[in-house]
Amino acid sequence: MSRAQISSGTQDGGGSRPETAAPVQGIAILDREGRWLEADPAIERLLGRTIARLAGEPLIAVATARDADALRVALQAALVAGDAQSQRLQLALLHDDGHEIHASVGITPMHGAGGGVRSLVLQVVAGRGAGGEHADAEGDADADADALSQRLAEAEAALASLNHLQASFAHGVSHDLRAPLRAVDSFSALLATHLDGNLDATARDYIARIRAASARMANLIDSLLELSRAMRAELHPAPVDLGLLVDWAHAELADAEPGRAAQIDVQPGLQVLGDERQLRQLVNQLLHNAWKFSRDRDRVRVEIDGEPRGDHVIVRVRDHGSGFDMRYAGKLFEPFQRLHGAEEASGNGIGLAIVRCIAQRHGGRAWAQSEPGTGSTFFIELPAVPDNGTQA
Amino acid sequence: MSQKEILLVEDNPDDVELTRIAFAEAKVANRLEVAGDGAEALDYLFARGRYAHRDPGDLPAIVLLDLNLPKVDGREVLQAIRANERTRALPVVVLTTSTEPFDVEASYALGVNSYIRKPVDFEQFVWAVKQVGLYWLVLNHPRDGHP
Repeated sequence: MSRAQISSGTQDGGGSRPETAAPVQGIAILDREGRWLEADPAIERLLGRTIARLAGEPLIAVATARDADALRVALQAALVAGDAQSQRLQLALLHDDGHEIHASVGITPMHGAGGGVRSLVLQVVAGRGAGGEHADAEGDADADADALSQRLAEAEAALASLNHLQASFAHGVSHDLRAPLRAVDSFSALLATHLDGNLDATARDYIARIRAASARMANLIDSLLELSRAMRAELHPAPVDLGLLVDWAHAELADAEPGRAAQIDVQPGLQVLGDERQLRQLVNQLLHNAWKFSRDRDRVRVEIDGEPRGDHVIVRVRDHGSGFDMRYAGKLFEPFQRLHGAEEASGNGIGLAIVRCIAQRHGGRAWAQSEPGTGSTFFIELPAVPDNGTQA
Repeated sequence: MSQKEILLVEDNPDDVELTRIAFAEAKVANRLEVAGDGAEALDYLFARGRYAHRDPGDLPAIVLLDLNLPKVDGREVLQAIRANERTRALPVVVLTTSTEPFDVEASYALGVNSYIRKPVDFEQFVWAVKQVGLYWLVLNHPRDGHP
């Protein structure tokens, strides 16, 4: 999902503006502590802030001081209320430009597999019946909120069951597909040892092929699991120094191929706001990719920098490798799509799908530009660390 | 080297055979007792059922535990071992194919001593099992007074 930049006060002037005629309905997901995890575009517009900016901040920070206590009580009540019971309150929210938005707010706890509250769903209805002037309009808004809450609860339940299914699937794949592969690889190795003197070159070649194929499949299974994990892992956003992650990935690649000369330059102090574990995975995949497609060069050269754009940073990873034909750029980030034959580079077509998945989960995008023979540049849009450093 | 046995809790006969071969290559001479599921492992450790004749004080040097097991799964076995005063300090190494973070976390939360992912590659598998044998049977000093 790409996030448009939101400038404050686009609709009309600032100050105490009249509420718009049509009610605005928005949905967001908060963590147990009442901090923003996800918000739909309606909420982003209403508050004049993108979710990238809101993520990790407390909901209370966008309420007026006089409503903060009531909101705190409602958040607490949502945590202790048994079933999916909603807390409802009227309050004034603060737009980024400082004006107040009168809204009806519902907070509904969502329970995880273990039974405890996993997250809170926030529904906001604003724009009509501000301050309870029109009781019927307020009633409409409440009815809307109820219908919304119902649909949301259903969607959340469906999502939870899908996530659960995916997790058990990943678990099954991880265990039950790898075990037979170990048998295939190990017993062909043992067969080779056992027959030792009686194997001719052809027989040895066959055994080598069996073992190489099981290694490829094991690698593919691992990559698929990594993609599946990237899709469902919980995110803990914090400021992350990309330079450190690059150094780490570089060290691992150099370890695996010690003879390879490499020069990897990172813009000093390049930081983004994101989940460190996922960003590490993203950086690993991108560097691995650059490394792989520079195999016919004397040395690997990669430059990494970032360009601020609104409340995001466009991170650029530029290599000087073999590049790819832009006609196939659309296929690049799709799982199982390879632009190179197996002999050219040993990719399995999952790495860039993981990169895109992680960028999207951070509310950003991933794309690439290339010229065959010259190199490729990968662009990853990620949330910037807010200027005031409150996240640090 | 401790000459007590190794309890391998594993339902896959291929993996049982490969573990045997790996220990043989590593010159680990300890007898390998195999339990095909979690219930059998607990019967063995607590000298019940078809192991009722066993001396309950006679514990293996180490338990190698797979997680995905029929009947009683690996986590429950681990829980039962840690819940019993007599088996509480028994070294348990999870030896499994899964690296799902959930499995790793659950195992450590239940008090596993070590978590090893079984590699697909034969040489790596032998190497891993060899390291486990070397560490737990040679290098590691068991709890004093441990039978």
